[in-house]
Amino acid sequence: MKQNANAPVKDQAPAAPKPAVKPASGKQTLRKVEPYIWLLPSLVLMAVMIVIPILTVFRLSAMEISRAGIVKGFNNFANYKEILSSDIFWHTLQNTLVWTIVVVLLSTLIGFVLAMVLNQNFRGRKFVRALVIFPWATSLIIQAVIWKYIISADYGSLNVILTKLGLIDHFINWTSTAGAFFAWECWVGIFVTVPFVTFCVLSGLQSIDDTYYEAAEMDGAGFWKKLFSVTLPLVRPSLTVSTVLNIIYVFNSFPIIWTISKGDPADKTHTLVTYLYKLSFFSGKSGQAAAVSVVGFVILAICASIYMILSLKGEEAE
Amino acid sequence: MLNKRKPWQTTLLYLFVFVVCIVIIYPYFVMFTTAAKTDAEMYAAKMTILPIEWQWSNFINAWKAAPVFKYFLNSLIVAGGATIVAIGCGIPAAYAMARMRFKGKGFFLGAVIMSQMFSPVVLLVGIYKLMVGMNLSNSLLGLVLLNAAFNQAFAIWLLRGTFLTISSEMEQAAKIDGCGTVQALLRVLLPVSAPGIVTALIFVFINAWNEYTIALTLIQDDLLKPITVGINIFYGYNFIQWQYLFATSLFATVPVIILFLCIEKHLVAGLTAGGVKG
Repeated sequence: MKQNANAPVKDQAPAAPKPAVKPASGKQTLRKVEPYIWLLPSLVLMAVMIVIPILTVFRLSAMEISRAGIVKGFNNFANYKEILSSDIFWHTLQNTLVWTIVVVLLSTLIGFVLAMVLNQNFRGRKFVRALVIFPWATSLIIQAVIWKYIISADYGSLNVILTKLGLIDHFINWTSTAGAFFAWECWVGIFVTVPFVTFCVLSGLQSIDDTYYEAAEMDGAGFWKKLFSVTLPLVRPSLTVSTVLNIIYVFNSFPIIWTISKGDPADKTHTLVTYLYKLSFFSGKSGQAAAVSVVGFVILAICASIYMILSLKGEEAE
Repeated sequence: MLNKRKPWQTTLLYLFVFVVCIVIIYPYFVMFTTAAKTDAEMYAAKMTILPIEWQWSNFINAWKAAPVFKYFLNSLIVAGGATIVAIGCGIPAAYAMARMRFKGKGFFLGAVIMSQMFSPVVLLVGIYKLMVGMNLSNSLLGLVLLNAAFNQAFAIWLLRGTFLTISSEMEQAAKIDGCGTVQALLRVLLPVSAPGIVTALIFVFINAWNEYTIALTLIQDDLLKPITVGINIFYGYNFIQWQYLFATSLFATVPVIILFLCIEKHLVAGLTAGGVKG
């Protein structure tokens, strides 16, 4: 743990003694190449399936592409000009930010509280812990479909239950406006994201030594004091991982919005990924879709760099 | 935390836990009860929460109403294949990164972490083009390779983390006894790291099983659809067979939840330890 500044340094693998310079023999060359051979299958798989599509997206974003998918050649970044001058694109970008920030922020808050609770001793803890796994393990598309059914105005389960409980006397249209649609989609996003936060934080909480709390109590620390000066600093690494990963997952999340609203009404509930899907596979505008991809890609690359720097830092501190 | 709870705190705790349970169970409860309703009850004027008449035959008829069995088989092939490819490529890579020193190791490690950031969705236009070019669109093999590739990062990360927790002394001893590197890996390291490997296997399997977007984009042939895309068949524009939709969804969900429960402890430790060793 980083906080243990005085802890003895862990045994590092002893640096290999520098071999006296000798003419490279066949065996030495093999030893030098060997690690790359071990990496090769994985490298090839990722290069073909991930790197090529990335390059293709960049290339296509600057090309004119016919509806039939035939590449007609460089068109002087007309795709970018077109999406940047479209109101839908800017509204979509705004939605994407709201969607990512709202879902990640609320999930992190709820997940943190839930983890604190699950870290207590109470009857049925194991049961609750297992239950929290459910939304994490269930396919996003299935959860999206259930929630679409639940909030349906004509036969949705929510209306039925609220009527039976006497809370409402007629069925309510839960998604009368684009904003209402979007709010429900955010709720489903939160529902499926909380478990991951909970389990990340829980694993952090469980690694905290009780002596920290004992020491804090000796100093007369109350609940909040302990929360801010012991718990939070010590679970911060877990919180960082879960937050960064969630930003990326939520940003990229497609099934929830596509299933519940398809970006409608009037393209007002799109995020970047549903928008580019519609552009490419419904409107036949692959070039513009590729340009939207590049925008998303750049945003993600920034997040990914931050994450990479943080992880490698952790790696060095090991 | 250590301190004893006061009664009101205990009450609050149970209240919170109760609400959480209700909220989580609710969609699954809806899925289950709706799956057992009759067609008439689905749209009846006076709808009920529980089915008036539990129509268990829905759970059997769903299999006949559409090629559901074929969908499951496709999912099994895609998820199974992707798991084998992802772990098959991941073990040697994770081994090299845990045990060997070489130039560019830091770069490769960084690339692995970066690759985990790029979901296939944002690259769909490129992926579609690539798959059409390789003649792999509308094929299960294409889905296998894509799922394997996009799960490489997690697989390598989890496996490398597992290998790092195991001392290399035993392998070195085996090598002194005349084992090659490959034999040392297969006979010494892999058996000891079984829990980590099983976790990686199951995690990749679940991810590939639950994958929706790539399959939706690439597969046109109804008989090649995995279950996540296949259930759309109950979901036509003017006619939705909710009971079959949810019955099938339950079949697709329950085994995955059970698998997930088995690996949860290892998975969480692996994921967070991989990201932050600090």
